[in-house]
Amino acid sequence: MKSLTLKNLSKTYFDLYAGTNVTAVHDVSLEVPAGEFVSIVGPSGCGKSTILNMIAGFLSITGGDILVGGTPVKGPGRDRGVVFQNFALFPWRTVLENVAFGPKMRGVPKDEREAIAHEYLALAKLTEAAQRFPNELSGGMQQRVGVMRALANEPDILLMDEPFASVDAQTRMTLQEELTRIWQEKKPTVIFITHDVPEAVFLGNRVVVLTKGRVLADIPVDLPRPRAWDVLHEDDTFKALSGRVLQLVRSA
Amino acid sequence: MTALLHIWSGYLRLVDRWPSVGSIVPFLPLIALWWLVTTLEVFPRVFLPGPLDVWKSFLSLTYKGILPEYLQDSIVRLAVGAFWGIALGIPLGLLIGLSKRAYTALWPPLLFFQAIGDIAWLPILVIWFGYGLVTMTFVIVYTVIFPVVLNTVLGVRSIPVNMQRAALSLGASKLQVLWEVVLPGALPNIVTGLRNGLGYGWRALIAAEIIVGTSGIGFMMFDARRAGSVVEILLGMIILGILWYIVDSWILAPIERATGQRWGLVTK
Amino acid sequence: MRLRQVYSALMFVAPFAVLLVLWAVLVPYFNVNPRLFPHLSAVWEAGVESVSDGSLFMHIGASLTRVAVGTVLALLVAIPLGIAMGVSPVVSMFLTPLFRFFSVLAGIAWIPIATLWFGYGFGAITFVIFNAVFFIVCYNTLLGVSTIPRQVRHAAASLGAGRAAMLTEVLLPGALPNIVTGIRTGLGFAWRGLIAAEMIATNAGLGYMLFVARDFYRTEVIVLGMIVIGVLWLLLDRLVLAPLERRTIERWGLVQRA
Repeated sequence: MKSLTLKNLSKTYFDLYAGTNVTAVHDVSLEVPAGEFVSIVGPSGCGKSTILNMIAGFLSITGGDILVGGTPVKGPGRDRGVVFQNFALFPWRTVLENVAFGPKMRGVPKDEREAIAHEYLALAKLTEAAQRFPNELSGGMQQRVGVMRALANEPDILLMDEPFASVDAQTRMTLQEELTRIWQEKKPTVIFITHDVPEAVFLGNRVVVLTKGRVLADIPVDLPRPRAWDVLHEDDTFKALSGRVLQLVRSA
Repeated sequence: MTALLHIWSGYLRLVDRWPSVGSIVPFLPLIALWWLVTTLEVFPRVFLPGPLDVWKSFLSLTYKGILPEYLQDSIVRLAVGAFWGIALGIPLGLLIGLSKRAYTALWPPLLFFQAIGDIAWLPILVIWFGYGLVTMTFVIVYTVIFPVVLNTVLGVRSIPVNMQRAALSLGASKLQVLWEVVLPGALPNIVTGLRNGLGYGWRALIAAEIIVGTSGIGFMMFDARRAGSVVEILLGMIILGILWYIVDSWILAPIERATGQRWGLVTK
Repeated sequence: MRLRQVYSALMFVAPFAVLLVLWAVLVPYFNVNPRLFPHLSAVWEAGVESVSDGSLFMHIGASLTRVAVGTVLALLVAIPLGIAMGVSPVVSMFLTPLFRFFSVLAGIAWIPIATLWFGYGFGAITFVIFNAVFFIVCYNTLLGVSTIPRQVRHAAASLGAGRAAMLTEVLLPGALPNIVTGIRTGLGFAWRGLIAAEMIATNAGLGYMLFVARDFYRTEVIVLGMIVIGVLWLLLDRLVLAPLERRTIERWGLVQRA
């Protein structure tokens, strides 16, 4: 697990359909120590996905730096695993093969990487689905596969881009609890993007509020772990924190 | 680099407003390349004439009235053949789609005769009907009918069973179900079948004209080949391509899209 | 399961059995002129004769070889090219109209110019076949690659896939359903182009067999040839290509394309 540093990060790009330059991110600085779970919230268009894509290496950086464990990032790589909103599983591969993909890229031999994949599938209680194809699974199950696929590659940073937005409300709560449980085990450094404020507070050690490409607020979340919805729903600290963050987001 | 981005952005916005531009502009570099290759005489002029030679030939043949006449011949043949192919194909497709017995009896022979292909019929057709319009029409009808029937069958079978039942339980007679439910329900697929059928029919026409024709664009190309004149061959090919491109992109595709999208039914 | 397959095979063959019986009975009954339409027995005899003197296999061999060579060459060029073009959204958007245009001309329309460039014989015919397969497959490959969701490619990159792995693990499998559809369509055009080309441009092959027989009013050879052509394509398309297409599409689960 490594730390993540954003130093005066900015992103300006040329919008082909508008024909002009657009600044999505103005000046964002952030220090994330190793093993911390940071939720980033903000209204639509505030630049949070752009920042994630830059950290992941899918978008180029036009200003400032991104450092992982002190080294600047250059393009995508296995040190930064990504979980996508629409799962992005490989439809032509089984669940097991999807999860084993990262190790396969590293050259891990078949038996070993399948063992690793089975281990992670068991962690998410997906062992029965191992030989199925993604299109045979429900949205919630597909996303769990997506999370496991990223984790099985043991990235230094885990980037999650609104991963539960495409999943129904009930499943979402289950997935959130499962995520915190898995995080307890492995403690990866996580950047979790969402526009769902209670979700951000539920999951993170810290909530960063973004607006129009800038950091508005950085709020620590001191709730004890493990966290469960039926408890936190009534918890005053949780409600106060969520309320405060929501206010900040809406004032943006 | 940014200059290129600006150019591409301008192009995208232009195409957004006038989609036809997107269908024409990509050909410009190709024509330019063609012109360059022929000016540099990479291949001997006898083998590959340039765009200007083709253009001159186009003007001269049009002026002499030959090209319009051939064009008309080809289009008329296609229209007649397509008409019969559709007029026979849709009812046949409906029958096979709706009747289990018709399906069992007719589907295998349908596949087999489709596999024979229109071209293979030419020799025997020439024996029966000689080199005239009947042979041509037969070939085109033969080619058009299969995509039309196949797609009609697909369309009919993709109508949810409950729709027909709903109509029946609302008091519709069998004929009314056919007209009110089956036909509209299968229409998107039928239109796809028409589009495919016309495409195949067009190619069949050219083939027939090349092999046994006495007039028309295909014949023009083959005749030019006999005379060793590449220019007319290229001209013929370009005209074919443009004609079909126009008909398909600007008439057929929008119709297909309009029926399919409008009714929210797409079955592949 | 086996019984089911036997049954459906029988149901497939049954209509042909009926047609054969009708043929054997009606043609002699109506005293049809053999120069117009042959008796079933005459076709059978012609078949036996052409098999025993090897001419049928020679023609079939010539036709199939040309198809095989043209197709393999076309695939070797079309698939890599299609992938290379499909990877870039700018290139694929710009070139798509060109491909749609040339797809229309695929195959038969190239016969006159092919015979001019390559003379009569193997070269011209193989070119026509190459042409028919190339444009369709290249276009479909381009389409297939360009519709792979960008996030899937990103996912592979963030899991450590290098360029080679991206090609074999993402681009090729992702485009495979489209590629197979393209191969099936392209082969259809190629087969028809083959028969047409053989009628005018050579002295061996099934198309030639038909054409020459016409000159001598040997309708039994013509009908024999037509049946052979039909059976060959039926076998290739229904037993090989269509199942292949169905299996790739099914396996990929009719992927939702953006």
